Amino acid sequence: MVMQRGPERPVPVVFTGSRRELVGLLLRGYALLIPTIGLYRFWLTTWTRRFYWSNTVIDGDALEYTGQASQLLVGFLMALAVFIPLYGLFFYLSTQSTEAAIVGYSLVAVGIWFLIGYAIYRARDFRLSRTLWRGIRCDQTGDPWAYAARRFGWSLLMLATAGLAYPFMAVSLWRYRYAHSWFGTRRFGFTGSWRLLAAQYYITYVMAVIIGAIGLGIGAAMGAFPTTGVANPWAYVPLAIAALLIGILMLRYQARELSRMFSCVRLGTAALTVTIRARSLLHQYLRFGLALIVAATGLAIGGFVVLSAVAPEAFANGSFDLQLFLQHMQGSFETLLAIVAGYLLILGGLNLTRELFLSLAFWKLVANGARITDIDSLDSVGARPEDKSLGGEGLADALNVGAY
Amino acid sequence: MPVPARYYDGVTAQARDVGLLLETEGDVAFLLVVEGEALVPITRWPVKALTMVSSRPDELRLRGRGLPEGARLVVRGAAAIARMKANLPVLERRQRRETRQQVGLAALATLALAAVIFAYLYGVPLLAGRIVTLVPPDWERGLGGTVATQMEASLEAPVILCDPAPESLANQALARFGATVLEGSNSPFAIDIRVIHAPVANAFAMPGGRVYVFSALLDQAQSQDEFAGVLAHEVGHVAYRHGMEQLIASAGTGALIGFILGDMTGVSIAAGLGSTVIDSRFSREAEREADAFAAQAAHRLGFDPVGLANLLDRVGGDDALTRALALFSTHPLTEERKAALERLADGRPLDLPPPFTPAEWQAITSMCGSSAS
Repeated sequence: MVMQRGPERPVPVVFTGSRRELVGLLLRGYALLIPTIGLYRFWLTTWTRRFYWSNTVIDGDALEYTGQASQLLVGFLMALAVFIPLYGLFFYLSTQSTEAAIVGYSLVAVGIWFLIGYAIYRARDFRLSRTLWRGIRCDQTGDPWAYAARRFGWSLLMLATAGLAYPFMAVSLWRYRYAHSWFGTRRFGFTGSWRLLAAQYYITYVMAVIIGAIGLGIGAAMGAFPTTGVANPWAYVPLAIAALLIGILMLRYQARELSRMFSCVRLGTAALTVTIRARSLLHQYLRFGLALIVAATGLAIGGFVVLSAVAPEAFANGSFDLQLFLQHMQGSFETLLAIVAGYLLILGGLNLTRELFLSLAFWKLVANGARITDIDSLDSVGARPEDKSLGGEGLADALNVGAY
Repeated sequence: MPVPARYYDGVTAQARDVGLLLETEGDVAFLLVVEGEALVPITRWPVKALTMVSSRPDELRLRGRGLPEGARLVVRGAAAIARMKANLPVLERRQRRETRQQVGLAALATLALAAVIFAYLYGVPLLAGRIVTLVPPDWERGLGGTVATQMEASLEAPVILCDPAPESLANQALARFGATVLEGSNSPFAIDIRVIHAPVANAFAMPGGRVYVFSALLDQAQSQDEFAGVLAHEVGHVAYRHGMEQLIASAGTGALIGFILGDMTGVSIAAGLGSTVIDSRFSREAEREADAFAAQAAHRLGFDPVGLANLLDRVGGDDALTRALALFSTHPLTEERKAALERLADGRPLDLPPPFTPAEWQAITSMCGSSAS
């Protein structure tokens, strides 16, 4: 393959992974989670990332994820050091009077909300510093505590302004992240300002408020919230329509925000442009909804078949007889096993659907919508010194904030 | 004919299209990296230092020990990969060794976790009794007050004592019974039995020595044996400080389950389910201990502890649902408790006077007013 070179050559990003490959990887991982009492999740995450990274090809060269499962395991153990004293605190609070406990729990919740910002930043650092392209490692500098404080302050302002501060918050956080991101010796930059989002955001905001108010008004007039008696079921239809319309509006906004924000990312003179259509985003969520319905139906049919094979009499008269059914559950151990198996199947089905139709679909959408101009300017980037941090993204894992 | 590859030197972000050739110098084999039509050598990597980096199936990625961190040779396409693997069988051997190491690490971690779970399940019942003695009794009394306030708030009607006069015949008889049963257990607490108006047949002990008996339970008791059995059982919870024990154990269980599931916030269904199964196991253990305590008391006071199980059976026996969900239940099955109590009651002296005099028993059964009718 001959690469043509030139300063203004826009280069597409290509995603080469197939859904089938990811399904195989995930199913194998879910199966291994059981004998390892859940510990395989660190390996599963690592394999999933390798899949995403190695299939994302920029200008003919794929990304490489160099992180190790053992690093995630170590990071998780380190996060435990934060959580064990927290558990002590929870225990102490649970023995206090109700008022003191409520105050205490609220303070802890605020503390955790603050820590999530720290965890998100550290997790991003972990992923970036384990991302290689053309033999050069990315990295993130900056202070995770400073980022956590920023995010926390902005979230308070968001509460105080009922969400009106959003464009300012989004740009501030994006800028902090990219201003502290590196590709080798070259620093990323972010050229966006709040003006980029403001018009779209406030239009969407006002429209959502108006539609919501109209929906609520019609619903209330039709008797959705009677002070006495039973609500009119038809009165929920305008509410549902309003919710649907607001959802579509938000997707339209989300598509624009993502396109505009990603397109403000710079790396020296190289520039990223991302185009995400609202229609594609909507289709993605529609497909996810459909897949959820299919998965739920499949699980329900499977469950019914298994249960009626175990206890045919319980279903004899076309209805389900719980007492008869329970007599068939010979012992309590079988019941526990049945509950656990059913729960794991449902959880696995939902996770698989989410990973395939949300995570993978979204990654593809961004990757395939991305173009990079002046990529040849990156030829002169040098390597960064080795990152010795072993930490993993433990806290993010423990706080449940990791994406991808 | 060199194998086509991409070469990143790991020093600059320049990617180069190269060819790979195998070369030996004495005993040492090298992978020679050449560029262009003229096969100009750029560098050479010792085969001994090569390892495969995991990548997508149509790509073979090599790195080398002792080279820059990001230095890579990337071979693409099935044919080229097959040629590389055929020429360098050592690569797949090294990859298999790497896989074995990962499997070993995962197995070791799993074993360690299994050991922690096992130690927890069997260690807590043994240790909780010791840990609990470290909790200052005053603190536990204060906690009992908090729990009692929460319990009273959760009842729909206000809490009304059946007989508010502490020196009445019934209350004095109950206090004497409680103190006698607790005697000899070295408990730092004093028993305070409170019979209150409530439509649910229930009785429970708070941390710190307070015992609540609901009037509906008293109504259903047909003999002194039954009522004394339940009271002695509750006193057993106080003597063993079970309330405190379970508070400590459930905090530990939450931490353990969070550790297994990797969700330290513990809000998922799985975390709830897991903690319930483990905590109810500890709770059933505590119930058995309290039953045994009641049976012991019956050796000193003249009541039949099996009455306890009879009363439980009347209030709510085992149905199919309880049986199926027994592993989630905080109490053992009633038939199981009855069998155990019968065994424990064996050989108790039968010539002891009943715990309450007829006048006292009359006063107790009529203290809530309802059973007079």
